[in-house]
Amino acid sequence: MRVVIVYKWARDPGAAAVRADGSVDWRGAKMAAGEDDPAALAAAQRIATASGGELVGLTLGSGDASWALARGVQTACSVTDAPALADNAATAAIIAAAVRHIGDVDVVVIGDAKQDPGVAVAVAGHLRWPALVAVTSATAEDGQVLATRRTPEGTTTVRLGTPVVVGVAAEADVDRVPGMKELLAARKRPLTTLTLAQVGATVGDVESRGSELPPPRATHVFEGSPEQVAGQLVAALRAEGVL
Amino acid sequence: MSATTDDRTTRGTAGPMGGVWIVVADEAWPAALEVARASGGTVTAAVVGPQPLADAVAAAGVPVVWVEPARDTPAEAYAVNLAAQVAAASPDLLVSTGGPAARTLLGAAAAAAGASLVPGVLAVTDGPRWTVRRAVLGGEAIETLTAPAPLALILAADEAADRPAATGVAPGTVAKADTAAAEMVVAGTQPAPPASGIVDARTVVSFGRGVHAKADVALVERLAQALGAEVGCSMPVADDLGWLDRSRYVGRSGQHISPRLYLAVGISGAPQHLEGVRGAKVLAAINNDPKARIFRRADYGAVGDLYEVVPALIAALQQ
Repeated sequence: MRVVIVYKWARDPGAAAVRADGSVDWRGAKMAAGEDDPAALAAAQRIATASGGELVGLTLGSGDASWALARGVQTACSVTDAPALADNAATAAIIAAAVRHIGDVDVVVIGDAKQDPGVAVAVAGHLRWPALVAVTSATAEDGQVLATRRTPEGTTTVRLGTPVVVGVAAEADVDRVPGMKELLAARKRPLTTLTLAQVGATVGDVESRGSELPPPRATHVFEGSPEQVAGQLVAALRAEGVL
Repeated sequence: MSATTDDRTTRGTAGPMGGVWIVVADEAWPAALEVARASGGTVTAAVVGPQPLADAVAAAGVPVVWVEPARDTPAEAYAVNLAAQVAAASPDLLVSTGGPAARTLLGAAAAAAGASLVPGVLAVTDGPRWTVRRAVLGGEAIETLTAPAPLALILAADEAADRPAATGVAPGTVAKADTAAAEMVVAGTQPAPPASGIVDARTVVSFGRGVHAKADVALVERLAQALGAEVGCSMPVADDLGWLDRSRYVGRSGQHISPRLYLAVGISGAPQHLEGVRGAKVLAAINNDPKARIFRRADYGAVGDLYEVVPALIAALQQ
């Protein structure tokens, strides 16, 4: 199977700061590996390996594309002028156009990000492919993808024909940091740069009119000696009526 | 909003089809209906699921296009073909909740209709363009956006609404759609181990990697005993360390619980963990890092070494 792993397609919310007036300062943040990207890459690698196929990386923006190349992906493409957008369908349309440009793709694996829960599903929409999201792990068997979801009710395995989009949600914050040898090897691996015009994508028409602070959520944080904070915490919880 | 003439008429205030659609695949649909109705349009529902789900939506006064999934076929298998049917009605607005199947149906419909798609939505209002309020950065700011029709919305994860009262409302019709499925089948389901007491517990004390050794779990258990609480944990404690049974792990793919008090001990507050305690009435935390993410979501926080604060807390509780 030809598997595309989509990575570093959104900015890191951790890089953003909310100012006192409620406006958001992204501090010029470039696209960053999302919290679901390592789990998505692991699933993509398993699908590619189990099917004896190949894995191609796809990233958005002008940032460093070596994240996947240093983690075992042999080749990658980057749509360098793709901006960060509020419109998940527009981001998805750029990814879908790049997938078509790569060509002959059987499986697209992408992080099912909590911040942008519409991207993975709209990538499938734009490709007119089926999708399964909230997947925790995946592999391939007999020309099909086996995707596993873990929910409080149990673990479900779904057998998917191709082509298909698999949205992977990480179960925990884990990333394997590559060694120096892998980082150096990554620099030598081929990276194809593309533009929106080349893949035939546009950026949509959703406009931000600014942002404000949410109604304040009162967090009472107690500091001091262990006895002091313990006493204050117990008093507060008694006052709430939850003890 | 500017004073320009409302161009809803030129946008086509839609006939019986068109207008506003909600896309439903689970029981969270009342929140989607509430937002859709507040937008002012005529609401139609596309429902993929068992008949009682379609009937419940119809009972709220909404005409329903219903797809009944075949045995062992996930709702997502119908996304592509249902999207074509929804797009044919030229919707102005599409709304879904954040469940995996519902938003998969929505993503397909949005793309087929050529719609923009905004997540994290709290509310939408009508005008020359749709005006959307949405939560960004995990709710740390509320952004206002405008977008032309057609527009698709995924509601913020914790938006919930009660099922609307059906009294005095003529139920909508349920039209069964003959929709082909994609190649997608449930190959196996392994039920979760029987839920531990934490699911129904009024008080839960939960611990994470801040507890350094298995022997120290006894300290957390003593605190739980003093509180009359059940003991839970973060995912690594159950999965990587195996100190507690998986049935006691709270988080995205673990237990989702709604205790009156959730006390997080030595838990940093990763978003995956916090998803499991969204329903807690009061969230309290003990952590030695005053900048720990858990303090942004907690109602009460105690900064300090848990090995000192927990014994002090047990003493304070026994006074």
